[in-house]
Amino acid sequence: MELRFDREKNRQERLAFVRRHALRVREVPNEVWSREQADLIDAFFENAQNFALSRSEYLRTCRRRRPEAVHG
Amino acid sequence: MRIASAPDGIIHIDGKVVTALDRFVASVTEIIERYTRYVIVSGYVAILFGRARGTEDIDLYIDYMDRDTFMSFSEDLLEQGFYFLNSDDIGEIYSMLCDRLAVRIAGAGRIIPNIEMKFKKDDFDRYAMSRAKRIQFDDIRFFVSPIELQIPYKLYLGSDKDIEDAVYLWMLFRETLDGDLLRMFMERLQVRGEPYGIEV
Repeated sequence: MELRFDREKNRQERLAFVRRHALRVREVPNEVWSREQADLIDAFFENAQNFALSRSEYLRTCRRRRPEAVHG
Repeated sequence: MRIASAPDGIIHIDGKVVTALDRFVASVTEIIERYTRYVIVSGYVAILFGRARGTEDIDLYIDYMDRDTFMSFSEDLLEQGFYFLNSDDIGEIYSMLCDRLAVRIAGAGRIIPNIEMKFKKDDFDRYAMSRAKRIQFDDIRFFVSPIELQIPYKLYLGSDKDIEDAVYLWMLFRETLDGDLLRMFMERLQVRGEPYGIEV
């Protein structure tokens, strides 16, 4: 089975969306963009209560993926 | 986005809807502030300014606390319904911080979101804290790292998500940033913004 996925194209599409979103946030009143953002973030927050990993499993995944940064 | 800088340097985001994540972060930073200074860095800075994404952790640095102060802080934190994910032994948590490791704070019964907290340790952390911007909206007040440091830092981290955060902050603030400062941090962190349209 072949997976046809252009990683670079996907990255560029995501960056284009981020730029468009930033321009929209600049243009609309704070009440508008923040209401939309709150709907998204509050849904994540609510759903996080069903997080499947235990404390120790979660901390293991954090150690695996976290690079040691200059500022961090 | 309407952002107003008051004469006292506070940045007001009037009308911003407070999210459950904002409330969680504020409830922890309010306790931290009773004991020491802090500064929020990384992804949550972009989220505060409208980036449309969730996050599982919020990164922040605190000033050094001696052991007794940290014990009082931890007691306060636990009384308010939070806990350290890393260990139930507060002495161990303090040792981790002194070893320059991050510790994670979450609400009771939760794993995410959590606050990833470290003692500040290098010139970048010291700069972020000494020049922290005070952000205010509704009844919430946060201290966040200057954007001129956050953009190069995000490029330095380099994941797709980090680069998107850097591009977002650049698109939002490009006319108001201190170009010399931004260039200086980009040089020190040896990152380039041009491939992503961040041209200073």
